[in-house]
Amino acid sequence: MSDTILEVDNISKLYKLGKIDSGSLKKDLDSWWKRVVLKRPDPVYEEEENNLPTSQYLWALKNISFKLNEGEALGIIGSNGSGKSTLLKVISRIVQPTKGTIRGRGKISSILEVGTGFHNELSGRENIYISGYTLGMNKAEIQRKFDEIVAFSGIEKFIDTPIKRYSSGMYVRLAFAVAAHLEPDILIVDEVLAVGDADFQKKCMGKMKDISDKNGRTILFVSHNMQAVTNLCNNAIWLQQGEIKGTGLAGEVVESYISSLKQEKIESVWEAEYDAPGNNQVRMKSYQVRAQSDKSDSYITVRTPVQMDFEFYCYIDDCNINVNVKLYAVTGECIFNLGCKTIKAQKAVLALQSVIPANLLNNNTYYVSLTVVKNNSYPIFDFDHCVSFDVEDERKNMSYFGTWPGLIRPSVDGDFYVKNLLES
Amino acid sequence: MSVEEKKEEWVIESKSSYFNLDLKELAYYRHLLFRLVRKEFLVNYQQTLLGPLWILFQPLLTMITYVFVFNKIIGVPNGKLPPALFYFCGIVVWNFFNESFTSTSRTFRDNIHIFSKVYFPRLIVPLSVIITQFFRFLIQLGLLILILLYFILFKGFTVKFNALLLAIPLVMLTIGMISLSLGLIFSVITAKYRDLGNFVDIFTRVLLFITPVIYPLGSVKESIRWIVQLNPLSSLFELFRLCLLGEGTVSVPQLLYSVIFMIVSLLLAILLFNKQGSKLIDVI
Repeated sequence: MSDTILEVDNISKLYKLGKIDSGSLKKDLDSWWKRVVLKRPDPVYEEEENNLPTSQYLWALKNISFKLNEGEALGIIGSNGSGKSTLLKVISRIVQPTKGTIRGRGKISSILEVGTGFHNELSGRENIYISGYTLGMNKAEIQRKFDEIVAFSGIEKFIDTPIKRYSSGMYVRLAFAVAAHLEPDILIVDEVLAVGDADFQKKCMGKMKDISDKNGRTILFVSHNMQAVTNLCNNAIWLQQGEIKGTGLAGEVVESYISSLKQEKIESVWEAEYDAPGNNQVRMKSYQVRAQSDKSDSYITVRTPVQMDFEFYCYIDDCNINVNVKLYAVTGECIFNLGCKTIKAQKAVLALQSVIPANLLNNNTYYVSLTVVKNNSYPIFDFDHCVSFDVEDERKNMSYFGTWPGLIRPSVDGDFYVKNLLES
Repeated sequence: MSVEEKKEEWVIESKSSYFNLDLKELAYYRHLLFRLVRKEFLVNYQQTLLGPLWILFQPLLTMITYVFVFNKIIGVPNGKLPPALFYFCGIVVWNFFNESFTSTSRTFRDNIHIFSKVYFPRLIVPLSVIITQFFRFLIQLGLLILILLYFILFKGFTVKFNALLLAIPLVMLTIGMISLSLGLIFSVITAKYRDLGNFVDIFTRVLLFITPVIYPLGSVKESIRWIVQLNPLSSLFELFRLCLLGEGTVSVPQLLYSVIFMIVSLLLAILLFNKQGSKLIDVI
């Protein structure tokens, strides 16, 4: 099972930027003359490739190498523009690499979009055939799987209706159904899960997992859904600006990728007092929101406590003072209001530290608003939208990929058990 | 497909050679080829009243216009043949060439949305176009034969059919291959420089007038006949007319010229298409 089925060796892909116009014809002819007639080496293949003007050229992929074993599922992650799709296109033979070689064995099929080859005027039946052949199925395969495809898509009644009359959901279901029944040795999938509703996504993921686990197919999978990558793939590659930034077990790569995206803490310190928000009674000095953890590179997840620190100058001293901290969901609902004990105001720097416990917030974006209150009744300073932060998801041993509903996700004890058997 | 089946090894490299026409791969995708032909017919006649009858109306209307303009108004001589028959014959063959050529020359432009998402031998698409056009030609040929029968039965037109009839498939094959190769070459050029697509229009328009469609080659003055004879299609059109209607000016060197032109251009076109095909996706 551990034979190498795909070997990507030092692949680079260079794109020329800029317009194609009469100027480029001149350049083309010029470069052709130099390369073919004068037998000079192409500047692109020379060693000093890094000296190519970056205004005209872009390395979409730089020296990518990896091996894929038979039956392995490899995830490719990275931010937009990191070269994920280009890599898949090179492996699928859609675009040609500028340098490097790819060796593989067996049939390779790629699903880079949903509904490749679909034609709106044709019936579902015709489209299953057209799309199937386009994706590389042979006749026997399609005929054998036809009923299965129709059943999986759940559009039996509409199979002879032109697909332009389908709802977008039906369209996507049919399209994925065809793709899911491909039986290549290597399957390449790009962001297919980004479409369709949660239910359907779940069905698709299940099917993908079947393809990988039960049928032992090799899968190359690109997704922005980290949960899906961790769940489906054994290993992962993290691409950044066309280069491999990390590789290893899927869970680990995903974790370091996410932590690279997240600032460890969100903070702001006003150097000059007069710049800071506030008035002649109180004025902000700084704030900081971070995950409370021993690890240095931790980020806020649903499982970490969130520590919030606020500091402000107080210019009054003849009253009592306290601060209300309100936490809002990004959609505007107030989650809670954090009161604090009232103290005697002094001309000093006042600090407030509070910790939101772990296992309370959901995977969501929250923001904090501050109100400084004088003598428990007069608000003297409102700081709306003081700071906002994201809480990342962290799920273990769970096969649900959809969004977890709810504004908060507290850990609530519950017991689910068999109480007593039914008498039959 | 069982997992134990021997898996074929393949390599993707940064340079594509001119000589990588993979016939085995083409054969594997033959079902796609036929589906694309089928799709072309289905798509064109969905939600239409007359459906495939349009294939016949277009040449009929053109024929009527030509008879009116070139025969009645201008008075272009067309030998002993009845004008309707003469023009319809030329139009049917010209349509086959013209449609095949212009559609294949748009291969990359029209299919970029598929080409950029999935790999299959790109040659499948232009081949499907040629086959589609060939079927349309067959339907039009049927009408041509009906018109011919009408003239024989009711107008006393006589034509001696002989073994030459067997040359018709070869003539059509040669015309088809010439249109395919020109189309392939133009598809590569116009993919990168789009404005050259306008040139295709002008090119076919000019070509129509130096091809014996609206006049027989025999009626062209000797002094300028070489211009028409430079066109490799001329002798093929004349031969087609000679085979079916019994009148045409054909010589062996002329035919040889056409066939050699076909072979050379086809080789060139396939080499160019293979070499450039995988690079073009970057620039379309």
